[in-house]
Amino acid sequence: MTVKTSPSSLLPQPLVYGAVSLGILGLVWVLATSVFGWVGPEVLPSPFDVIARFANLTTEPFAGAALSGHVFASLERWSYGVFLAILLGVPIGIFFAWAPWFRAVVNPVFETLRYIPPFAWVPIAILWFGASTTTQAMVVFIAAFPACVINAQLGVQHVDDILIQASRVFGARQHQTLRRVVVPVATPSIFTGIRIAISNGWMALVGAELVVGKTGLGFLIAQGQRE
Amino acid sequence: MIDTTVTPKLELRNITKWYGPEGTGVLAVDDCSVSVQKGEFVCVVGPSGCGKSTLMTVGAGLEDATRGEILIDGKPAGKPGPRRSVVFQKFALFPSETVAENIKFGLQMTKVPRDEQERRLREQLEIMGLTQFRDSYPSQLSGGMQQRVAIARALAMQPEILLMDEPFGALDAQTRTILQEEVQRLSHQMQYTVLFITHSVEEAVYLSDRVIVMSRRPGRIKKEIRLPRDVVWKQGDIEQAAEHPDFIEARREIWGLVREEIMAA
Repeated sequence: MTVKTSPSSLLPQPLVYGAVSLGILGLVWVLATSVFGWVGPEVLPSPFDVIARFANLTTEPFAGAALSGHVFASLERWSYGVFLAILLGVPIGIFFAWAPWFRAVVNPVFETLRYIPPFAWVPIAILWFGASTTTQAMVVFIAAFPACVINAQLGVQHVDDILIQASRVFGARQHQTLRRVVVPVATPSIFTGIRIAISNGWMALVGAELVVGKTGLGFLIAQGQRE
Repeated sequence: MIDTTVTPKLELRNITKWYGPEGTGVLAVDDCSVSVQKGEFVCVVGPSGCGKSTLMTVGAGLEDATRGEILIDGKPAGKPGPRRSVVFQKFALFPSETVAENIKFGLQMTKVPRDEQERRLREQLEIMGLTQFRDSYPSQLSGGMQQRVAIARALAMQPEILLMDEPFGALDAQTRTILQEEVQRLSHQMQYTVLFITHSVEEAVYLSDRVIVMSRRPGRIKKEIRLPRDVVWKQGDIEQAAEHPDFIEARREIWGLVREEIMAA
C-alpha cells in the first residue's frame, strides 16, 4: 500500500531566474542608451525617459484621455472579445470532438474563415458596427476564438476512450459522461486555449486600435508616433 | 455444483465481430458462444490478439456484435448498464475524482439513494482495504491500489454479472498474486457471476470453475475445460494451490492447448 508523493515545490528558483533575465534586459537597455550612447534617442529612448513620460501620462491627458482612460478603453474591448470567444469557442471545440456530425458540418466553415487575418476584418467590421467598441471587440474575438476551439477540441479528443467506456458501463448518459468525465480531463487543454486566446486577443486589439478608434492603447501609440 | 441446464445468467450467443466492413475488414471473433451460469466463475484464455478482449467489450454492450446476441437471463441485454459491471485492464479510473467519488460514480448515475451510496462506499472501502485512501486521487495511488478502487467501483454496483478484462495484466507479480487471492476469496464468499479474460493459464486454473480456451485470430472457441470448484486447494494461497496435482494437470492441459495456438500462428 504505497502512496506516491508529489515532488516538493520548486517555486523560488524560477522567480530568481526570471528576475535575473529581466534584469539583464534592463541593464542592456540602460547601457545602450544612457551609458555608452550606442543608439540615439530618436532610435530608442532611454528607460529613464520612458519612465518619466509614463509618469507624465498617468496624470496629464494625451490624445483625449489620461493613460488610465486609454487602458480602461482597451481592457473593456479586450474583455468583451475574449469573453465571447471563450463562451462560444470552448463549447464549440468540445462538440467538434464529441459529435462527429457537428464537426463535419461546421468545421469547413471554421477552417475557411480562420485563415482570414483578424485585421482583414476591420473594414467589414467598420461597415457593420462603425468605429465603435464593438468593431474592436470583434477583432479581438476573431483573434481569440480559434485558440479556444482548437484546444478544447484537442483536449476532448485526447480523453482516453476507456474512460468513456467506463462511464457508460456505470450507467452515465452522454451528457453525464461529457460533464463529469470528459470535460474535467480536457480542462488543462481548454485552459491552454484560453491563455493563448487572451494573449492573441490583446495583440490583435492594440493592432486594431492603431487603425481605428479614438481611444485605447493602440490609438495612444499611433498618436505618439505622429507627434 | 452449478446446474448448466437452466438459463444462463449471461450468454454470448454465436458472436461474430468484424472490425471494418464485413468480408474485407478484420475478423476478430468468429461465431463464439460463451455462457456463464449464476454464481459461476468462467475464464477465457487465449493467445494475444485472439479476440478475447473483443468478446468482453461486446459482452459488456460497449460495442455491437456484427452477428449474434448477448442475453441476460435469456433476454437481450441491451445497452451497458448497472446489471453488468466491468473491471478494465488499465483501471479506467476517473482522474479528476477521488477514490470515494470514483466508487460512488455508478451509484450516482443510477440514482441510488444518498445514504445507501454512503453505506456501499464504506463497505467497499473496508473490503478492499481502501478506507485511508478515501480522499486520494488515482494518480496518488500505486497500480495495485488503483485496481482495488476499480474493483470496489464495480462491486459497489452490486452487479448481477462482473466482467473482468485482464484486470491484473498491468500489475507487478507480487501485487497480482495478492489480488488474485482476494478475488478468489471474495468470489467464493459472495458467489459472484464472473466472466474473466486473462492470458495467464495459472490465473485461470486458480480462479475459475470453467476455462474457455480460444484459438488464435479469428477467435473461435477451441475447448472448454471444467474444473473442480469447492476443493480445498483452491481456497488457500495460489502457490499452495499450484502444487496440487489437479492444478498441475489442468495447467498442463490448458497450456498445451494455448501453446498449439501460439505455435501455429
